[in-house]
Amino acid sequence: MVRNLQELYQYRALLWALSLRELKARYRASVLGFLWTFLNPTLSMAVYALVFGVLMENAPARYPFYLFSGLLPWFFFSTSVLGGTTSVSDRKDLLTKVRFPAQVLPAYVVLTNLINFVLSIPLLFVLGIAFQDSPTWHLIFVLPLLVLQTLFTLAITYLLSALNVAFRDLQHIIANVMQLAFFLTPVLWDVRSVKGIDRFGIVMSADEVQRAIVTVNPIAALMTAWRDVFFAHQVPELQPLLVVAAITLIVLWLSSAVFERRREEFAELV
Amino acid sequence: MSNAIVIDNVTKHFQKRNRRNESTTLKSEVVRLLKGQRKLKEPATHIEALKGMNLVVPRGTTMGIVGRNGSGKSTLLKLVTGIYAPTTGTITVNGRISALLELGAGFHPDFTGRENILINGIILGMSRNEVKSRVDEIIEFAELGDFIDEPVRTYSSGMFMRLAFAVATHVDPEILIIDEILSVGDAHFARKSSAKMNEFRQSGKTILLVTHDLGSIETWCDAAVWIDGGKTRMVGDPRQVVSAYRQAIAAAEAEGDRTGHSALSAPGLALPQVEAAPAPAEVKSPAQVVELRLRDGVGAQPSAFSADSALEVYVDLELSSEARCDVSVEIATVSGVALFKTLYSAGALPAGRATVRLTLPRLGLGDGAHVLTATAWSAGLPPHALSKSLVVAPHPSGLGLIRPEHAWSTEPRSEPIPASPAVKATAQA
Repeated sequence: MVRNLQELYQYRALLWALSLRELKARYRASVLGFLWTFLNPTLSMAVYALVFGVLMENAPARYPFYLFSGLLPWFFFSTSVLGGTTSVSDRKDLLTKVRFPAQVLPAYVVLTNLINFVLSIPLLFVLGIAFQDSPTWHLIFVLPLLVLQTLFTLAITYLLSALNVAFRDLQHIIANVMQLAFFLTPVLWDVRSVKGIDRFGIVMSADEVQRAIVTVNPIAALMTAWRDVFFAHQVPELQPLLVVAAITLIVLWLSSAVFERRREEFAELV
Repeated sequence: MSNAIVIDNVTKHFQKRNRRNESTTLKSEVVRLLKGQRKLKEPATHIEALKGMNLVVPRGTTMGIVGRNGSGKSTLLKLVTGIYAPTTGTITVNGRISALLELGAGFHPDFTGRENILINGIILGMSRNEVKSRVDEIIEFAELGDFIDEPVRTYSSGMFMRLAFAVATHVDPEILIIDEILSVGDAHFARKSSAKMNEFRQSGKTILLVTHDLGSIETWCDAAVWIDGGKTRMVGDPRQVVSAYRQAIAAAEAEGDRTGHSALSAPGLALPQVEAAPAPAEVKSPAQVVELRLRDGVGAQPSAFSADSALEVYVDLELSSEARCDVSVEIATVSGVALFKTLYSAGALPAGRATVRLTLPRLGLGDGAHVLTATAWSAGLPPHALSKSLVVAPHPSGLGLIRPEHAWSTEPRSEPIPASPAVKATAQA
């Protein structure tokens, strides 16, 4: 794992150049160009604000702002995983023609989405101001959360991209799994609004259920933490994040090992 | 570390993806599972691309690789480059490698030539600063003019290849690996690329070259290896290797004509063994051509000679004993057509070094890359020869293999010459 990250650092120029190109390429032929990086989330914010702020009158208070504080980090995760899964299998042109450090491919997809996410955070503040909210000192938690989520996403992406080379069905499975995960993760809904269970002989208090969700689903823990920072202005709970950190380390170690092992086969299989 | 590349008993297997009579679709897999056939009818099959290959490439050597389609040449290059890992055996590479397996890897069509130089250079292993410092050199070499700031998708295929070749050759590698890409662009650019290759050779870089153009192997390479059926079949002097290879192909074709099938009918099969070519004579010629130096009239060594300039050929000989020595110099096209040959009896020369000079006051050859061969021999003993490429620069209005001295003029107006009776007769008929 350490070697993997070291190599990534060694190839940082390549990583950076590919990410920049990806960001530029996305809007290359358009008139507004790079402006779309900001325009796209702004417009989708406007849509949500219209639906939940104007049309749906019984929506929770400040719901569009609430929604976006979870939606932006979710997009960072989901687009990285979806794009990262095919990142190795789609680059036959590079892998079979040049000696190429394959782990740069999933890494640059994650980095591109990370940059996109960071660039969209100011928009969240603008939206907050529209809802009479302003950022607080809790923003100091943004950096550690960014590092944690980036590493977690990187770990998942490594694993999926390596497996997808041999098993192409994975990319379609992942697309559906991500949709399911979107609804299982507290993005649209609030984890603290989940009630206790007393059914099928299982009795759990609301607190226990909430804790279980956050523990089982590392993304839920991350989303809840982002919400605490951006929306609720409170210190995120440490314990679920420590669990995420532990999971991240294990998955990163595992997926680096899988990636290392399969790397030599990539050029033959893509 | 005098060896740039050492390949030790390397094998490479590829797994066949599709088994005969069995397509591996989801449906067939489910059916197989339901029928309880856990094992496949046919065990997983391998393709043995390399079957125990050995090769040593000394530093500073230009080594040509010949062999038929499917003999394992490209697999070998990919193994040396590090794209594939060997199944067994080891490959040791000393020095920075640049592989020109395919030009323009990672080019993005929507980006300008300049932007693609940066990313392609980084992909090929240069640092950002290295690329930046060489960007002007690359642009100049590619000769794209204003197109350098246009998106690559608007380029003609020739422009695309020129840009890609320019980046790839400016990586400044210690070991250069080339797979059939020397003929990029038009005649002018092809000459420029040849000159660039020459520059690589002269600066002591190691080059590994795969090409089916046997003539260029003979001219360019210091050594050649013939790969056949995934093994090294012959290593040595390029002329000998190429000639043995040609004989084996001819033998296989003759066999095919006779029996209706031969090693040539299936890809990758080894060619038949040929009766050993007249064994290299045991008696070594007392006179060896050790060096061949080409200069123009003023002592310079241009990458391309002008047809109007002089050519001086210095043939450096090494004599093991005092002997009467004859020397010939022949200029031929790359495809082997002799253009000019001259003989000289140098008379009795003492043992040791001697130099023979041939002067052509005016070269008088058409443009292109030619092969100049100097041969030295003593009566009754086998000759020894050395070749060098001789590049002649094109002339704006010139065409053809030769360019004799000539003059044009306009004659003063005069009465038309009366037609001859013969012409009249034809006209009336």
